[in-house]
Amino acid sequence: MRRTVTFRIVVDPIRCDGFGHCAELAPELVSLDEWGYPILQAEAFPQSDHELHRSAQLAVRGCPRQALTLQKIIAAQS
Amino acid sequence: MIALTSPYIWYTSRISGVISLVMLTLVIVLGILISTRVGGRRVGRFEITEMHRSISLIAMIFVAIHVVTTVIDTYVNIHWITAVVPMTSSYKRVPVAIGTVAIDLMLAVWLSSQLKERIDPRAWRAIHFSSYASFVAAAIHSYLVGTDERSLWGLIVLGSCVAVVLLATVWRIMGRPERAVGRTALSPLEQSRGR
Repeated sequence: MRRTVTFRIVVDPIRCDGFGHCAELAPELVSLDEWGYPILQAEAFPQSDHELHRSAQLAVRGCPRQALTLQKIIAAQS
Repeated sequence: MIALTSPYIWYTSRISGVISLVMLTLVIVLGILISTRVGGRRVGRFEITEMHRSISLIAMIFVAIHVVTTVIDTYVNIHWITAVVPMTSSYKRVPVAIGTVAIDLMLAVWLSSQLKERIDPRAWRAIHFSSYASFVAAAIHSYLVGTDERSLWGLIVLGSCVAVVLLATVWRIMGRPERAVGRTALSPLEQSRGR
């Protein structure tokens, strides 16, 4: 059995206040709607993509409301 | 203890107090720029947040220099405890106490920001608002005990700091409805629109 590890960022919509830092720090993963709230890329990115991982970390750390988390998804493959 | 009687400690204490006030002004204005969502075209908004953070650290360092030099200087007799506990100074009790209050509020704001990931965001916000009170206390303290606030340049510096913070605060309150217009030019959608 193999395990595949992927990541994605998720937003807590209650905490988010539309500062827009995430879209600046991780434009590959986050775009903003017309009110400045984030639209996150739905599909997870693979662990091997270090650049995306770095961007995601910057966005998570740079959020002034701590509204983002980096989610690690471990899927079992038979 | 020859060094401690040097007038340069007293001079350092005075000038670091003035610089602290200027730094606090800068930190407050940057904080207001963050909350009004300024930036995104030439300067990233996250960069303004980073500046707010790093300059607040520099401000704290100047406040620390101000406190240490004031305490070790022998020109006025102020004990270490006065740095955090108000009304313990025999020299100009109330004006010095107001400075102590400013430091206590500053420490509360700083500590709550260090613990930002662990405490309730509303509590953090409420505590963070006391930075305004801290600035007001620092300005009053500066006016009441500042040796250099009797001179023209001192008054100009103090007056400009107060005016800048006041204007920025009014602008923050008045500019509230625009706050929600949030898209930054650094976002791909806006960039494609600009072309």
